[in-house]
Amino acid sequence: MGSADSRLTIAGRELAGLRAEKTILLAIAIQLFIAAFSSFLVVGLVSMYDPGALDGAEIEVAAAGDAVTDLERAASEVGGASVTRYEDAGAARLAFERNAADAVVIATRDDGGGGSGGIDVHITAPDATVETTVIVVQLRDLLRTYELNERAQRAEFLSESPLPLPERTGSSPYFTFTYTVLIPVLVFLPVFISGSLVVDSITEEIDRGTLELLRVAPVTLGEIVDGKALAAVAIAPGQALLWLLLLKANGTPVANVPAILALMTALTTLVVALAVAISALAPDRRAAQLLYSIGVLVLFGGATAMAGGPANAVARLAIDSADATTTALVIAYVAIAAVAYVGVRQLVAENGFEG
Amino acid sequence: MIDRLRRVLRVARWETARAGGGVDRRTLLAALALLSVAGVVLGGGLAAGVVGLDVDRDVYRVGVDPGSPYADAIEAEPSLTPISADHATLGETADLVVLDTDRSGVDREVAVIASDTRKGEAAAAEFRAAVEAYNERLMATEENTTAAFPVTVSLRYASRTSPLDDGATLGGGDGDGGAGGSTDGSDDDGDTGDESGEGGDADSTGAGVGTGDSAGQEDSGLAVPSIGGGAFGAGTVGTPGAIAPPFPFASLLLAFAFLVPMNFLIQAYGSSILDERTNRRGEPLLVTPLSPAEIVAGKTLPYVAVAVLVTAVIAAAVGGGVLSVVAVLPIAATFLAATFVGAMFARSFKELTFVTVGVSVFLTTYAFVPAIFTNVTPVALVSPLTLVVFDLQGEAVSLGEALFSTTPMALGAALLYGLGIGVYREEDLFTQKPVARKFLDALAVRLSAVEPGSLGAIASRDRLRPLASVAFLTACTIPFVFVAELLAVAVLFALPVTVSIPVLLVVIAFIEELAKSIHLYAGFERGVFARTDRVAVAVGLASGAGFFLAEKATAVVQAVGLTELYVGRAAFGSVAGVEGLPVGVLLALLFAPLLLHGIATTVAAVGASRGRTRYAIALALAALIHAAYNFAVVSVHG
Repeated sequence: MGSADSRLTIAGRELAGLRAEKTILLAIAIQLFIAAFSSFLVVGLVSMYDPGALDGAEIEVAAAGDAVTDLERAASEVGGASVTRYEDAGAARLAFERNAADAVVIATRDDGGGGSGGIDVHITAPDATVETTVIVVQLRDLLRTYELNERAQRAEFLSESPLPLPERTGSSPYFTFTYTVLIPVLVFLPVFISGSLVVDSITEEIDRGTLELLRVAPVTLGEIVDGKALAAVAIAPGQALLWLLLLKANGTPVANVPAILALMTALTTLVVALAVAISALAPDRRAAQLLYSIGVLVLFGGATAMAGGPANAVARLAIDSADATTTALVIAYVAIAAVAYVGVRQLVAENGFEG
Repeated sequence: MIDRLRRVLRVARWETARAGGGVDRRTLLAALALLSVAGVVLGGGLAAGVVGLDVDRDVYRVGVDPGSPYADAIEAEPSLTPISADHATLGETADLVVLDTDRSGVDREVAVIASDTRKGEAAAAEFRAAVEAYNERLMATEENTTAAFPVTVSLRYASRTSPLDDGATLGGGDGDGGAGGSTDGSDDDGDTGDESGEGGDADSTGAGVGTGDSAGQEDSGLAVPSIGGGAFGAGTVGTPGAIAPPFPFASLLLAFAFLVPMNFLIQAYGSSILDERTNRRGEPLLVTPLSPAEIVAGKTLPYVAVAVLVTAVIAAAVGGGVLSVVAVLPIAATFLAATFVGAMFARSFKELTFVTVGVSVFLTTYAFVPAIFTNVTPVALVSPLTLVVFDLQGEAVSLGEALFSTTPMALGAALLYGLGIGVYREEDLFTQKPVARKFLDALAVRLSAVEPGSLGAIASRDRLRPLASVAFLTACTIPFVFVAELLAVAVLFALPVTVSIPVLLVVIAFIEELAKSIHLYAGFERGVFARTDRVAVAVGLASGAGFFLAEKATAVVQAVGLTELYVGRAAFGSVAGVEGLPVGVLLALLFAPLLLHGIATTVAAVGASRGRTRYAIALALAALIHAAYNFAVVSVHG
């Protein structure tokens, strides 16, 4: 079939251009950089925000006040904080001053220790040091346990008792992050790059006047669009697959790889359709790229914010929590992408590019 | 001078008019319409609570009896999906099964069985957090608040160096909710004595509000930078669950807002530069009496103006001051400079897109990652964004800190422009050379000819000038070498230490050797240097010396900058260590690196004078020599 041939020829020409400029290597280098840096970023962020998650750091608390016995009991349950009792608040603060303690906790009963009143806890933590975050997080754990114990003692005054908590288990916060943020980002980056490539490719041809030359050749405008789209869509799944394989080799199993690739290919097609439509409307590269970035931002921002967005779908597929709705979602995205592309191609084939 | 300025302004006016023509009114309207629709939808959604960025929605499946109260707790947590316990098979359709032994009342116990995977562990942790959140909500509806939340916490930060004599509020137990407020109020007065106390105050406001839902986060984010004190606001009694660790999360998010418009700006800027280069459009400008530097300055000026304007608007919106604008300016300049070089080297719009994406990603991480550690270590100041975070937190920044933070980036931007302007000439603007060849061109432009005959009498000043230009060019690579080394450290961070340290030493040696010799290779390839061993040795030594001097100069500047940052803290470790050593050893220590740089670079230079393959081999050899030296130093010290 002649027309299929010409499409492949145009797609081949696009890919040859990319190969000659070696830009695809740059793209992969960028993704590698993001992947390497995000692990660095996560370690940094998590250790700042939830340092207790990193290791079982033990802090020393100087405690005083008339409710300190219960605090000591809570500390024996938690681990991570050891409480030393001092005679009064002054002695506890002195210990803090002398670096004998990481924090001061003064716990006093509100109404004479009847057992029904509240307890006021005043914490003094050191400011602006690396350990402050660790100390505050450990204190929070300690005080939550304390609160649970005290609440249990007052159960008779409650109309409903709180649900008992399951056992504490160790788990890494990176796990959820890897599947819900890192994998979607790595899977979608090639999508955006492909769309941007199509915008560049078309506006550049218009700008340099080579599109006119192409049209002298025995190909239709629709076939030109097909060829360019084919090249852009073809390079996307390969990049995503590379990442998923790398993650697998790195000990992060990724489930449902074919479904993820199908989803991302559908999205690439959708974004490429958007790119073709935009370059047809705004043939100037600057305007087209601006509209394209905003369009993609709105599209993906909106889709991610809604339930069942593509990022969440990829996360659920990768973590192996997919169900019938996820499958339906993938099929829906494929259908939407096909309709959008065919529609845009039809419009462009009939009306041509402006400019 | 005035004339020059006038010429630059004329180009700037022309560029503004042209850019306005490219992005016509229709495009702008379309863009605005798109953005406003998105804004309205998102804003409405946020207000109605329908929309949330729950990327982790339904990622864990939990088998639970639908009648159990735990089902409600799971239902309320977005990341967990309840599955009826009858249908749940552990490991296949469920990651976690909740066994709720309901004995109607006090002795209720719960057991969970998680699948034996990391996913199961993560699901169990999420489940525990969900139950905790459920209990908090349940207790919030109780009438007897003292029984529901028996513990009231007030948290304050104190510096160990300042006497804690204002602690009267600590011992006394006044009312329930009021305690937090009053303690904090006196805290403001008490700690203003030392500069770090400020940090504690800004943080303690954060401690009260972090209730966890995104809407609350957003509100507190806007309030935190400007309003001091008032932790544990009226609504939230300070329960233990409400304690948030001191982390400038809100300020960081706001600081990120400054980086977002840069990405759009550099797209337009890169297009404009590359536009000049397609279809020889820039030729008329080149034949005018304007110098390339004037043309580039004029073309860049409008974009700098837009950057300043946008930054000022954002600063006004998020509560930043002049400092924020001043700090973001070098970042904007570096964005523009890197894009300029990219657009000068790129052969097509496609290539430019990749370059632009690369610049965005790289500079955003470079600016953002150090800022995360704002309150932790002074090293965070390598990024000017840290100043923005400080500014948003309402902390004072000394002039020294501001200079330390902004100068390197501003310098880097200037050097990039220097590199790009070198090839702003006909033979490079309108040709389709590969990026690497254009890069060599840009380097070679900055060198002066070195002939074997001219090396005879070294004393002559004229004859030293070409070698001085070699040394100067090497010195200019220092900022980029540092960035590359920083990057290597960050990327290799994840590896175990036994692997990462040796790899790092080799990588750093390679980066430095490359920086010292790449322009020598350019000089030989472009015929600026004669291909003789004598010339190679001369330029090699010059380059090594240049690198050595620049490295020492930056070391001094860094020491000054860093010691200033550590005012009143322990003295610089390395200075204390060398005190006892005799002068001879000190001199040897000082000049050993000079010897190393000279020898290694001469090896690379001799290779560079013999063509590409020999250069690659010689470069590897030089890097090995350098790495061996590094190993020796590390093992002697360690």
